[in-house]
Amino acid sequence: MSWVQAILLARGLSRGWGGICGPTLTGAPFSQVASQVLRGLHCSAATHSSHSDSSLVPDPPELSRRPIKALVPHEELFGQAPSGERDKASFVQAVQNFRQHSVRKRGHVDFIYLALRKMRQYGVERDLAVYNMLLDIFPKEVFRPRSIIQHIFVHYPRQQECGVAVLEQMENHGVMPNKETEFLLIQIFGRKSYPMLKFLRMKLWFSRFKNINPFPVPRDLPQDPVDLAKLGLRHMEPDLSARVTVYQMPLSKDSTGAADPTQPHIVGIQSPDQQAALACHNPARPIFVEGPFSLWLQDKCVYYHILRADLLAPEEREVEEIPEEWNLYYPMQLDLDYGRSSWDDYEFDIEEVEEGPVFAMCMAGAHDQATLAKWIQGLQETNPALARIPVVFRLAGSTGELLAASPGLEEPPPPPPAQGQEEEDDNLQRRQQQGQS
Amino acid sequence: MALVHKLLNGVYILRKCQMPSAASCLFVGPHFADYCSSSLQKPMVAPGKAGSPQRKTERDLQGHPQREVDLDIISPEEKPEVSFDKAIQDEIKDRFRRLKEDFVNHWIGPEGRPLHEVLLEQAKVVWQFRGKEDLDKWIVTSDKTIGGRSEVFLKMGKNNQSALLYGNLSSEAPQDGESGRSGYCAMISRVPRGTFERKKSYDWSQFNTLYLRVRGDGRPWMVNIREDTDIIQRKNQMYSYFMFTRGGPYWQEVKIPFSKFFFSNQGRVRDAQYQLLLDKISSIGFTLADKVDGPFFLEIDFIGVFADPAHTEEFAYENSPDLNPKLFK
Repeated sequence: MSWVQAILLARGLSRGWGGICGPTLTGAPFSQVASQVLRGLHCSAATHSSHSDSSLVPDPPELSRRPIKALVPHEELFGQAPSGERDKASFVQAVQNFRQHSVRKRGHVDFIYLALRKMRQYGVERDLAVYNMLLDIFPKEVFRPRSIIQHIFVHYPRQQECGVAVLEQMENHGVMPNKETEFLLIQIFGRKSYPMLKFLRMKLWFSRFKNINPFPVPRDLPQDPVDLAKLGLRHMEPDLSARVTVYQMPLSKDSTGAADPTQPHIVGIQSPDQQAALACHNPARPIFVEGPFSLWLQDKCVYYHILRADLLAPEEREVEEIPEEWNLYYPMQLDLDYGRSSWDDYEFDIEEVEEGPVFAMCMAGAHDQATLAKWIQGLQETNPALARIPVVFRLAGSTGELLAASPGLEEPPPPPPAQGQEEEDDNLQRRQQQGQS
Repeated sequence: MALVHKLLNGVYILRKCQMPSAASCLFVGPHFADYCSSSLQKPMVAPGKAGSPQRKTERDLQGHPQREVDLDIISPEEKPEVSFDKAIQDEIKDRFRRLKEDFVNHWIGPEGRPLHEVLLEQAKVVWQFRGKEDLDKWIVTSDKTIGGRSEVFLKMGKNNQSALLYGNLSSEAPQDGESGRSGYCAMISRVPRGTFERKKSYDWSQFNTLYLRVRGDGRPWMVNIREDTDIIQRKNQMYSYFMFTRGGPYWQEVKIPFSKFFFSNQGRVRDAQYQLLLDKISSIGFTLADKVDGPFFLEIDFIGVFADPAHTEEFAYENSPDLNPKLFK
C-alpha cells in the first residue's frame, strides 16, 4: 500500500479520526501510519459509542489519557442552565437540547437513564408531564414488532428495558400514568410489549390500592410548622369534637425570617371528654407529661407530648351510675344483645393492655420543660382543675429518644447509646419518680 | 467432639444410646444454631412498598428457612446467657414434652382442646406478647443481611404487656453491584414445630378476618402470610396486604379480612390472583419498607383471628382479561 492510498484511506473515513489523520498527512513512514491507524480503529470505536457524534467533549487519542472517572454521556446537557438553578424549566430545556443536538437520537437510552437519575435533583420526580416527555424521546414506530418472529423474541430489548425503567420510577414515586402515556407506549413499543404490560399492571393495581389508607395524609404537607402540628394532632386524635388551640406562635425575626428559638410554637389538642375526665381527676394523684413521641406524616417526623395519668387500681375505679330518670326522652345506656344465640362469642380470650387516660396532647417546637410548662399554663385556662393537680415531667433526653422508664409509662422509641446529657436526665427522672412514689 | 463428650457426661439417658454421635446430631444439630446463632442467611421476606403493586427484590428469595438458622437479632440491652448444659437439657425436655403432647392431645381433641371448643370458636388469640417466651416465637430480619444499614430490634414493652419492634430504616443501597434499592425490616413468626421437629401449620378455616391490636407511629406496614407447603415452587409465594398505622398514644385495632390478601411470587405480584386458603398457614410477618429513612417503632399487643359475620366477600381481586387472556378462554 503506498502512502497515497494511506492518505485516501485516512481521509475517506469519518471525521472522528481527526487525531490520527495528523501524523498520516505529514508523510510518516507507512508502518507507523498503519500501526497508528490500527490503534485509532480501536480508540475511536470506543469513543464513538460513548460520545456519539458530540464534539463538545474532545476525543482523547489514546486510551491511557482518558480520565479515571468515566464521563457520563450527555451529562453536559444538564449543566447548561444559565442561572444554575434546578427546576422543571431547566430540566425541560435539557431534554430539548438533546433533541436538537442529535436528530437521529443516538444514545437516547443512555440519555433517558441519566435523566431518570437526575430527576430528583431537579425536583420533578412526581410530574407526569415530564415522564411523558421522557417517553417522547424514543423514536416512534421503530421498535414495534412486525412479524411473529419479532414478537416471539424480545424486540429491541434494551429499549424495552429502558421503557420499563421509566415506568418503574413512576411507580416508585406513586405517579399514575394517563392516556397520553398509554398512547406513547403503543406508538413506541406496540401493544404486546413489556412496557405496555407494566402499564396495564400499574393501571390495575394503582386503582385498586389508591384509597386503602384509612388515615390518609395529604401528599403535599404544609411547610409552616404550626399548620403541620395542627394536621398531625388532628390525625392522631380520633375524637372529632376535639379542639386545637395554638398556645404560642413562633416569633420570627424580621431580618432573618427564621423562627426564634426562644419562642417555639406550641399547639395543643383536647376533646370535651378529656376535659371532663381531667375535671374529675383526683388531685391527690399526679399527672405526667410524657414525651416526645414520634409521628411520621408521609416522610416528615414530628414529635408530640401527652398529658396522662396512671391507671387506677381496679379496686379504686368507680363506675358512675346514671339514674334512669335522668333523661326521659331516650335511654342513656343501651344494653342490646342483638338477638343472636347465646353461643356467639366474638370476644378475644385475652386481657387487653390497659393504660391510664390521656388528657391532652401537644406538639411544640422545643422539647424542654420550659416550653411544656407554658403548655400546661395554657391548658389551665380551659381546665381550672389543673391548677390543683401536681404535674410531673417525664421527658426524654435532648436527642428526643426516650429511656426505659418505670411501669406505667408508655413505651417509647428505642433507647439510644447513653450520652452524657441523657444520663443527667435519667438521674433527674429517677429522682422525680422516687420523690413521687 | 467436645460436644459429644459433654453430652455423654451431662445427660444420663444418652449413655444408653448405641450411636452417641448420631444422637447428639439428632438432639443438638439443627438447634445448636438457635442458641448461638450468628450465621447469616438471606432473608425470605421480600421488601414491599405501600401502594406499589410490583416490586423487584434485590436478590431472589431463597425460600422459607425450614431450618430456621437465621439472624436472630436481640436488643442491645440484653446479653443472652448461653449455658451449654442448660440449653441441651431444655432442648431435651422440650422434645419429650412435644412427644407426650402428641399422644395425649389426640385423646382430648384437635390441638389438645376439646372438640366443641374448637368447632364453636369464633375469636382466637394466636400470638400474644406477655412474656419473654412469646418473643422467641418471632424472628426479626432487616436488610443488613444483604449489606444494607437498617437495624431492627424486638423487645418486650413496658409492664411485659406488649412487644415493641423498633429500629432504624435506611434505604441506602448496598454497594454490591447488583442491588439497586434497599431498606426493609421484617418480623416473621417461626414455624411451629411438632414432635421430631415436624412442621405444624395453623388451621384458620373457620375464621375470616385477621385482628391486630397495635400502636404505631404512622408508618405503613405490610402483613405477609405464608402457606405451609412442601412444593418447592410454592415456597416463595406469599399473600400480603397493607397495615396503616395511625400514630398517637391510643391503641389501634386493625382488622384485615383474609379475602383482601393478594398473591405474590418471589416478591412480585402475580397477574393471576386467587384467594388465600386458610387451612394450612405457616407463618405471618410484618414488613416495613416505605423508603423513608429514619427511626420507627411498632408496639403489638396481640394478634388474633376471628370470624366476622358481616364480611361475606370471598376474594377482592378479579383477574383481568388483558393480563391473563388464558384464564378467559
